[in-house]
Amino acid sequence: MEVLQLILNGLMAGTVLAVPAIGLTAIFAVLRFTNFALASHMTIGAFAGFIANTTFGLPIVPALAAAFVVAGIIGWMSDEFVLRPLRASGFVTTAIGSIALTIALENFVRFGFGNQMRGYDLPLRRDWVISGLRVSPQQFENLLIAIVVVAMLFAFLSMTRTGKAMRAVADNPMLASIKGINSDMVARLVSFIAMGLAGLGGMLSGLDTTIDPLVGFRTILSVFAAAVVGGLGSIPGAVVGALVIGVGEELSLLVLTPAYRTAVGFIAILLVLTFRPRGILGQRAY
Amino acid sequence: MKGLNRRKVLKLAAATAAVGTMPVRAYAQAEPLRVGILTPLTGAGGNDGPRMLKAMQAVFEEVNKAGGVLGRRIETVVEDDQTNPEAAVRAARKLIEVNKVPVILGTWASAVTAAVAPVCWESKTFLMTVSGADTITLLPHQGFLIRTQPNSKLQATSHGEFVASLGSKRVAVIGIQAPFALPTKEHLDTLLKAKGGAVVSHVIYEKDKTTYRSEIDQAMRSNPDFLYLNGYAPDTVVLLRDLYRANINLGKFCQSYAVPQATLDTMPPEVSEGVMTGQPSADVESTAYRSACARLGVKEIDGYEAQATDWASLTVLTIAKAKEASGVALKENVRKISQGSGEKVYNAIDGLKAIAAGKEINYEGASGPCDFTDIGDISGCRFRYMKVAKGKLEFLKLV
Repeated sequence: MEVLQLILNGLMAGTVLAVPAIGLTAIFAVLRFTNFALASHMTIGAFAGFIANTTFGLPIVPALAAAFVVAGIIGWMSDEFVLRPLRASGFVTTAIGSIALTIALENFVRFGFGNQMRGYDLPLRRDWVISGLRVSPQQFENLLIAIVVVAMLFAFLSMTRTGKAMRAVADNPMLASIKGINSDMVARLVSFIAMGLAGLGGMLSGLDTTIDPLVGFRTILSVFAAAVVGGLGSIPGAVVGALVIGVGEELSLLVLTPAYRTAVGFIAILLVLTFRPRGILGQRAY
Repeated sequence: MKGLNRRKVLKLAAATAAVGTMPVRAYAQAEPLRVGILTPLTGAGGNDGPRMLKAMQAVFEEVNKAGGVLGRRIETVVEDDQTNPEAAVRAARKLIEVNKVPVILGTWASAVTAAVAPVCWESKTFLMTVSGADTITLLPHQGFLIRTQPNSKLQATSHGEFVASLGSKRVAVIGIQAPFALPTKEHLDTLLKAKGGAVVSHVIYEKDKTTYRSEIDQAMRSNPDFLYLNGYAPDTVVLLRDLYRANINLGKFCQSYAVPQATLDTMPPEVSEGVMTGQPSADVESTAYRSACARLGVKEIDGYEAQATDWASLTVLTIAKAKEASGVALKENVRKISQGSGEKVYNAIDGLKAIAAGKEINYEGASGPCDFTDIGDISGCRFRYMKVAKGKLEFLKLV
């Protein structure tokens, strides 16, 4: 029973982790760099959703949409004006630039909202107990929201012309360009969607706890671990990676004290990179 | 550059060197006395750091208005330790090596202080802190460190007596990974055992997690009748929410810094209902406390603001007593103004006047008597216990 409860807890945590992890991996697939600015966009999304929820009184789902749109727009702008000029200097420069960008953006949020923690206007519900297993209604809703978002993204990538163009650029930018796909437009779209997902993920994780300017920074290492374990660049891989990290961290409690929980994600990275350098599902975008 | 030759270059260099020395001498008279402030303005301590900073600046401003110390204005150089040891060490190095400060005031988290302290004692810079872990004053700091916060032993003993007074016998400790985690649990266990109880489980968790459901399950397996939550604000909020969701209605105790009013406001009131908190109390009946409140223009200040007020006053008075602003002077003279049989003074201005009049002084602070042991601990302190009712902190008792 204890193992089942741990697996359940891990799946809940992993699913929420999957949303921003998809963002990170999508940017890598198309733009070929690890965009650590994802952390601050998680924070921006969490705060945008917070304003939508507490100032404008919107329920959670429209507030999540606000989180997606605001983080997406800022993600597109920050890529267009800050990171894009750096891309000519290579992968490492752009990734380092994204770290600087995330710290700058995080401090903008701090400047505007201060350091204190804030909570969404949301009643806190007791856990459901089903056959001895405890499930939090909020976490269950988060799970459903995350599944719907991921399903919509997969449908977009596989069924729409724009989605297919994005996959084409991710698979082979040169060939896509010869076929007349505007790779700049695809890059902008990817930045918007990926950072929108980051914002959504930031708000989802805040719904369960509280938010402050460090909400994204706290999660980014686990998000990064999920994307790498699943295969950096593979969108289904990010989902698999997030679930592996989520469940792995929880199951580790059977043999380790909780103080070492984060180490599990990084041991997983080491193992995967050693035995399967391209991650569990490899690097194909889709 | 055509007309330059060896002689001209030498003359120019000599003239520049001569000019260079003149303004330095003229400026030295008015050169401000720099004091380093290293509080957490961000991170888990971001709620307390800015208020501590204000409290210190208010004292220095008052002293500057009264003419400064040793005829020099006090200038604060403020850095953010980010509640992060690595960032704190970088900031401390900058304060010491670039700003040449003789003293650093303000480290908050024990892990931060443990990292910054060696940088300070190696460079003979004095450090004043609120970190409570026992290990802090056991470091080989050669006297370059004092703290106004009671150590883990003093805190855990008082908390243990409080918990035992509630009739609890089986206490589960759920705490963050920090230098104070293990000593607190051990002191708590010793005290409870003497009262017929015990710590029945101890779970140490990592910071920055979005859920602690499994940690709570682990702690609950030992069937406790009371929970002692030993974390910082961001993680304690997560713990309290998870405890509420799991329908666990045991008595709960937290450090007051983990659930300040601002944190309570982020939670539905039913989540925090009945949580009890304890904190080293400012000496609310003292003259120093009232004068600190007046200086900040507020009705009451908390233990951290009171301690920060005391650091600023101790710094000024020690420098005045030693007639020298260096880390060594602070180390050798701080106890000459903080304890002993001298005239009791309750703020920096009165202390400066007394020192100028050639009197011996004993500074009695806003946070307490400010008497330090040889290793830099305070010898005693009061504790204030509060209880949360309908989302607000209510006073329980002062011990």
